[in-house]
Amino acid sequence: MTDPDRIPDTPLFDRPRSNSGYALNKMAMGLSTPDGRAAFIADEDAYLDRYALTPAQRAAVKTRDWAEMVRLGGNLFYILKISAVDPTPIREIGAAQAGMGLQEFLDTRLGKVTNG
Amino acid sequence: MAELLAGLGTSHVPSIAAALDKGLRNSVEWKPFFDGYIPAQDWIAQRKPDIAVVIYNDHGNSFFLDRVPTLALGVSDIYRPADEGWGPRPVPDFQGADAFAWHLADRMVEGHFDPLICRELDVDHGLQVPMELTFGRPDAWPVKVVPILINTIQYPIPTPQRMWDLGRLLRRAIESYPTDEKVLVMGTGGLSHQLQGARAGFINPTADREWIARIGSNPERYRTMSREDYVEEFGSEGAELIMWLVMRGCMDDTVTTLFDHYFAPASMTGAGMVLLENTR
Repeated sequence: MTDPDRIPDTPLFDRPRSNSGYALNKMAMGLSTPDGRAAFIADEDAYLDRYALTPAQRAAVKTRDWAEMVRLGGNLFYILKISAVDPTPIREIGAAQAGMGLQEFLDTRLGKVTNG
Repeated sequence: MAELLAGLGTSHVPSIAAALDKGLRNSVEWKPFFDGYIPAQDWIAQRKPDIAVVIYNDHGNSFFLDRVPTLALGVSDIYRPADEGWGPRPVPDFQGADAFAWHLADRMVEGHFDPLICRELDVDHGLQVPMELTFGRPDAWPVKVVPILINTIQYPIPTPQRMWDLGRLLRRAIESYPTDEKVLVMGTGGLSHQLQGARAGFINPTADREWIARIGSNPERYRTMSREDYVEEFGSEGAELIMWLVMRGCMDDTVTTLFDHYFAPASMTGAGMVLLENTR
């Protein structure tokens, strides 16, 4: 993949993103164990201290800024584990990245219901 | 020799699992989706497959970015549900077809496919959901499984042609296995969806319906499309559809599409299935 941003607004998880997001994704991966989740819930700052996040990544996690986490190299499949300890529906995470309110997102992106 | 019973292409959307766990199987939102699988479930139940080969991608649950196998193969006799952040789901453990899996490992390496061979592996929704959509929620699964895992997260992901060629090899491996077991091959993932970036929420029901209609009868275009084309047409995570090509590649050129189903959106995803049988 020589030009991973050829498709607008579609950040493919290539080497630059995997490199820049590695610590962020590793932090999120730590939430896939009961101990990791308990530590995050008990003291989020102390949990985040275990990982070499940049200040911007740390701020994005603390504010649950999903678009910013992705922009800084987070991959949804990892950072989604944050939504397991701080419940956030996947559609709200989608809406936040699209820069829309939830209802607008459901209407304009997913609204063409074509069941059957 | 073992027999290729049929090829199933199906979504593995995690929201399907969540809907089942929350008892929403018959809700207004979900019933049409689940009901669409019933004819294929009945057909498969009547023919009693012994082994399911499930081609799927791990979603950052069993593999982290510290080591990313492009191709991995499970050879265990037991697979447990992975903890995806909410604790392991209440589904039965999966019994592995370990002897067949080792046979497949031999045939793969001889055929110049070199998988990471996994003796211990927890399996995430990518394997769980297709099994539930095929067999419901039994006390024990009626088939043994062989997981084949494809990296579709970190680029470079494998090419569609490579998936097709893996399917060709899988066919030869099945038909050279000296038992009379019946094998169901499941290619999973998709259909169109995008979870990341400002284009999040992209779905393409028109392209999905065309895929469902053509993957059996006229798959040539999908084999020769680029990975970028997949992302553009089906969304960044919709590129998972390349894994259906392993299933399609292991079938005859001419197949009968026994059943198909499409539903959108299932959460943020176009969802559906095809069941293909070699035309006799």
